[in-house]
Amino acid sequence: MTAIQTIDREALEASAFREQCRRQMARPLEARMKYGFCRVHRPVLDTPGTRVFSSTKEYREWCADNLPAYLGFQPAPVE
Amino acid sequence: MNARQPFNPLQAQLVAEAFNATGVDYLFIGKSGAILLGYPGTTQDVDVFPAKSVENGRRIVEALLKLEFTLNENTQGEIIRGKDFVQLKDGPFDLDLIFAPDGIESFAQAKARAVREDIFPVANLSDIIASKKASGRMKDRLDLHLLELFRVEYESRMS
Repeated sequence: MTAIQTIDREALEASAFREQCRRQMARPLEARMKYGFCRVHRPVLDTPGTRVFSSTKEYREWCADNLPAYLGFQPAPVE
Repeated sequence: MNARQPFNPLQAQLVAEAFNATGVDYLFIGKSGAILLGYPGTTQDVDVFPAKSVENGRRIVEALLKLEFTLNENTQGEIIRGKDFVQLKDGPFDLDLIFAPDGIESFAQAKARAVREDIFPVANLSDIIASKKASGRMKDRLDLHLLELFRVEYESRMS
């Protein structure tokens, strides 16, 4: 794909997503919640119990150390 | 341990009703807050940013017990003291109490900018985005581009 084709495709995708945003905002709150809240199994994170962290930093470190990478809780590379 | 009930997508409504009835001072944040504003994404958890005070903590505990969360004395104490991050998975649904979210300077300032969607007090979309930017997590970085596109549409609708 050329650079121009990539730009065109990204613009089309952004436009389609914004249309999706407009449709979702037009829905009543109950519909937004029914579309938006769903259960997906997350290993370790979904283990029953209570976890308390003294700081948000501590929570982030726990996630990075304990959760599978594919869940996306690891720190993003510095840009 | 509380037996897990079938998943209820209206869990945010249960939180709002219980917290509002008990007088909890709080805001919905994170992706759950954005979804309430109309963001077409998905999440499993409800994220709440409560004001940090002993009185508010007591109200939160009262509301959570009414929702049938299992909270031992130690956890109740942590909530009342406003420990920065309390992750509750012993209730009818998962709930995160975040007393110090990344990227938001204070509850008072967030509340001043907050919006109301029906019974739901929700952090301003700018604060939700700022918090996700500040978190530095892979999953939040992936969401940011879409949240910014949503912001364009949201602010256009609100203006």
